[in-house]
Amino acid sequence: MEAISRQLDLARRGESEALSQLYRQFLPGIFGYIATRVPDRATAEDLTSDVFLKMIEGVSHLRATDEAGFAAWLLQIARITVAGYYRKREHQPALVSLEPGDQEEEGVGNSEANLRNYPSLDPAERAESQDEWNSVVKAINTLTEEQRQVLIGRLILGYDVATVARMIGKKANAVKALQFRALQSLHRQLGKQGYSERLNHVHIPQRGGKP
Amino acid sequence: MKPLSERLNDRLERGSKRSWNGGEPPDWLTSPLQAPNRDPEVDELVTLAKHLQTNPHVRANHDFAEMLEKRLLMHHAVLSRKPPMRHSFFPRLLRSRPAFSVALAICLLVLLLGTSVLIVAAHVSNPDNPLYLLKHWEQHVQVSLANSPENRAKLNIKFARDLLHSLADLANPTHKETYYQAIADLDQLVSGVASTIQALPAGPDRERLLNDFTSFNVEARHTLRGFLPQLDVPERVITTDELGRLGDHVPHLLSTEIVPSAHPNGQAIVSISGDNIQPGAQLLVDGQIMQAQGSFQGNLYVLTTNWSDSWHPQYIGILNPDDTVAQTTMITLKGPNDGNGSSGAGNSGQHGNGNNKGKPDKTPTPHH
Repeated sequence: MEAISRQLDLARRGESEALSQLYRQFLPGIFGYIATRVPDRATAEDLTSDVFLKMIEGVSHLRATDEAGFAAWLLQIARITVAGYYRKREHQPALVSLEPGDQEEEGVGNSEANLRNYPSLDPAERAESQDEWNSVVKAINTLTEEQRQVLIGRLILGYDVATVARMIGKKANAVKALQFRALQSLHRQLGKQGYSERLNHVHIPQRGGKP
Repeated sequence: MKPLSERLNDRLERGSKRSWNGGEPPDWLTSPLQAPNRDPEVDELVTLAKHLQTNPHVRANHDFAEMLEKRLLMHHAVLSRKPPMRHSFFPRLLRSRPAFSVALAICLLVLLLGTSVLIVAAHVSNPDNPLYLLKHWEQHVQVSLANSPENRAKLNIKFARDLLHSLADLANPTHKETYYQAIADLDQLVSGVASTIQALPAGPDRERLLNDFTSFNVEARHTLRGFLPQLDVPERVITTDELGRLGDHVPHLLSTEIVPSAHPNGQAIVSISGDNIQPGAQLLVDGQIMQAQGSFQGNLYVLTTNWSDSWHPQYIGILNPDDTVAQTTMITLKGPNDGNGSSGAGNSGQHGNGNNKGKPDKTPTPHH
């Protein structure tokens, strides 16, 4: 707790090392949050960049002094950034490519990401994996913002219930209830699409690796 | 048995790396099908949670993470080179203390409203206006705050001049009561100035004030005389009184004697004693102009007019050709055959100009 407070203090004063440490600590959570909100990895990376650039610009005015407060602040920036992305998309006309076959690949970023993430999978399996993830994103987008933040705090950032409760300004029991309802709702949504059924059979790669 | 949300949370807690001090959780947590005490409903949700947690889609790519870190540090370096924006203490305080901002906004609003009301009140000239009281209070405060008798007198002259100018709108039959009030206020201010000047020691300050006051008096007399033709008799009476107090030459009646003729509904001789009665002055009986022929006989102004035995007037007055008016209630009504004996019909012991509130038993026939 003291370590993060000191880091925040140093970051506010413009210490590069403190900013780097904060970035490394919170990149998984912010990227995870954004990746569950937008369908393709390239967009998730762009929006993540935007969020951390805003962090660099705004950290000197930050009032949070603890980890939960800082996480809440960053997630707030991420939420607004994602909302801005969807708002822009609403106002942009749909682009139809004149090149045959382009529409089949929704984004180059996704293909590359799938190749990186599933090097052992063949193209058909990779496409299937992307389809499945799109279903997850759609399902997560139907959750409430609080439910999403609880899932990110608990599953991606790995915070305990008390920390997530401070982060979203709720009591511990409310966080547990939100967590349960979020997973239940996701399970129901994905179950409709036959996704949950596949969950029990598809190999889930173990967590690990860099950030 | 614990509720589902608790059971789910317990399983997730036990499965988290943090709970295992950074070590890997046992297999049955990452693969719930191997758990010793099966809880199918919770198992499904734990599986889903683990799938989300470990899905490569939610993990940032290492190259991207490194590139972004470099980009952020460059961006930070560029921002650091820019001259820092000067943030004063006050805007920061407003941003950091929303309650303070709200309180400040309310204070400013109240101040703005208060100032606006005071400004509006300062321009109110009509005593009927509710803000007129506020204006009075403002003037009173200003006079109280004046640090010397000279300044107090100057302020009073200024306020009297403002009031004089505002009288122009009130000098008509539709604003009788307001006009009375304004004349009373003017009189109060003028009296205040006169007594202040009187109390001042002789010297240049006193001379200067006296000159100001004299010029104000001249202006006031000129202005009030301008109102006379458009006023009714009662308002002319109080205006004439005020002119007198301002040092103007105005009529003043001492007493009246009425001698009716022996013939009922015949004529009467009205003898009026007083000052500044002008040749051609008209007779007023209870505020009504009577057709009468008047002439000076010694110190008396004697008029002959139509008269009825049943009349018992309360006010007898004259209207000078310059529109000034004077009345008296000191009336002696003699019988037709009375010589010098007085039948004592005086309605009151008061001398001087009456306020014309009384009415005769029978209204005389006016002649305009």
